Amino acid sequence: MSGGWLRGWRPAASMAARNLRRNRIRTVLAVLGVTIGVLAVAALGIFGNVLALGAADAIGDIGTQVVVSPNADAGVESLSTADVTAIRRAVSDPAVGDPAVVPLYSDNAVVAGTSSQTFATVYGVEQPGLAFEAAEGSLPDRHRRGVIVGADVAADIGVETGDAVEIAGRQVRVVAVLAESETFSPVAPDNAVFLPESAFAADGYAQVLVVADSGETARAAADAIRESVNAREERVSLFELAAIVDEINGFFDLLSTFLLGLGAISLVVAGVSILNVMLMSTVERRQEIGVMRAVGVTRRDVLRVLLAEAGLIGAAGAVAGTALTVLLVAGLVISTPAVDAALVLDPTNGYYLLLALVFGVGVGIVSGAYPAWQAANERPVDALRS
Amino acid sequence: MYSVELRGVTKRYPGGGDEPVVALDDVDFAVEPGEFVAVVGPSGSGKSTLLNVLGLLDDPTEGWRLLDGTDVTELTVGERTAARKESIGFVFQDFHLLPTLTAVENVALPTAFDPGDATDRATDLLRRFGLGERLDHEPSELSGGQKQRVAIARSLINQPSVLLADEPTGNLDTETGESILAEFERVKSEGVAVIAVTHDPLVEEYADRVVELTDGVLVGGIADPPTHAGGDSTPDHDADAPQTGGSDPSGEADADSPLAPEER
Repeated sequence: MSGGWLRGWRPAASMAARNLRRNRIRTVLAVLGVTIGVLAVAALGIFGNVLALGAADAIGDIGTQVVVSPNADAGVESLSTADVTAIRRAVSDPAVGDPAVVPLYSDNAVVAGTSSQTFATVYGVEQPGLAFEAAEGSLPDRHRRGVIVGADVAADIGVETGDAVEIAGRQVRVVAVLAESETFSPVAPDNAVFLPESAFAADGYAQVLVVADSGETARAAADAIRESVNAREERVSLFELAAIVDEINGFFDLLSTFLLGLGAISLVVAGVSILNVMLMSTVERRQEIGVMRAVGVTRRDVLRVLLAEAGLIGAAGAVAGTALTVLLVAGLVISTPAVDAALVLDPTNGYYLLLALVFGVGVGIVSGAYPAWQAANERPVDALRS
Repeated sequence: MYSVELRGVTKRYPGGGDEPVVALDDVDFAVEPGEFVAVVGPSGSGKSTLLNVLGLLDDPTEGWRLLDGTDVTELTVGERTAARKESIGFVFQDFHLLPTLTAVENVALPTAFDPGDATDRATDLLRRFGLGERLDHEPSELSGGQKQRVAIARSLINQPSVLLADEPTGNLDTETGESILAEFERVKSEGVAVIAVTHDPLVEEYADRVVELTDGVLVGGIADPPTHAGGDSTPDHDADAPQTGGSDPSGEADADSPLAPEER
């Protein structure tokens, strides 16, 4: 059955192609309409997607960190070892992705290099590698000696790995400089230096950093901490950006949809032009269609020829529009260094190309359906009389 | 058995006024295989309606219609289309060839969407009609007579039992018209019933029988028992048209038997 169904399309497509060649200018204009529509959908779709991807890239891990602080309102001044243990227990669950838990001591001090000095946050951390990345030097598994310097501090006082800095009057050697942080976090590692925990005499942690793999697991971790650690009293307050990231992503989704909608309008216009072309063409060829029907061509086959015509216009326009989009985007990437090529080559952009391609062909067929149906169902005796 | 037969067929159209227009009024009409019947009558007498009803393009309001002895009075749209393709060939005054198709493709048009390739059969038919040199020409490159021969070849591609012609010589000069009528003679000699609606006295000359339609009333629709034995005015054409296939009622006369390719 399907073989026969397919077989009928070959002569239909061949006849359709010849019919389209009869009035080339009209056909070319209709194809041009679809081309522009598909170009608009694909280009605006990709544009919106690149914006969204770029934003996601820039925001980075913003949503993957949860900062747990003592709840000063409840009279909790610092987080005890028991609190940290409770937090660890709360998040050590495969369902929340087993995020890293990094407790931090915190203080402020003047940090001096060889020539200049700055005021910075001083953290005490045991496992810096779980939460931070080094730009030079390497982060020790266990932080026992020396100091790790945040990117901005290092730049301000002009120190590199191996140099000595003076923190609160004590000379310490720099073991690593952190990479510039991509995240927005209240911990602000760029403006901080990190000493081993042993450098602090404090009796409680100022913050606990929970570093998850994704925004989703971060949210799950935050929920788990709220449920268990805050079960009896509100001991900790949580700072998480996942919700904000959701908002931002939602905005970009809206922007993408809006841009796609703009493109879709031009595609609808293209559809109307196909409708017009097909109506004109079927009215002009009324007698021919009547003859086909009279000599025994079925309604279904007449429908096929006419749908193939509309489909070919749509397909030609869609292919041209897609090719133009690829050229346009490639040109944009080459001429605009600000656009990250990796973002443009993201596979999700291919989805927009495919979407536009399918839409183009679809618009052709949908717009051709009514004229084709009308022409195929006209009684041949009426069509021949005209 | 008649190739095509109408019994008591009435066709009424809703007219402009209260009274419907009666295009055919209780028409009895039958044509035997291998018979060439000319239908004459003034304009508006219902000739086209008669042809449309015979050709399954239009349904009678009352009465019966038989094709090769089968009742085809009421068929669905699909069944009518299939029956037209199977049993009926049309030849029109304006030829009605598709301008985008070559001669061969026009001839094969009724079978274009069927499995199998009818190109060979179409080529044979065109050669028989002396168009062996024009196979791949488009209609715009053909003369009126050549176009009409392509149209006749198209009407024969499915070996029909009835060939219906609407003013087949209407757009042709006398000489070309005669050559087309000679083709009809060859067609009918294969056992095809040929019915031509015409104003042209030349067609009447070639016909075995002439029936007249006036205001929807048909006179002489069914021939008297000794049909085309005598009483006709075309003995000279009977002489050079072999009647071998004339008595074959099946309409399945072999495509290659009685007719030899002939260049004109």
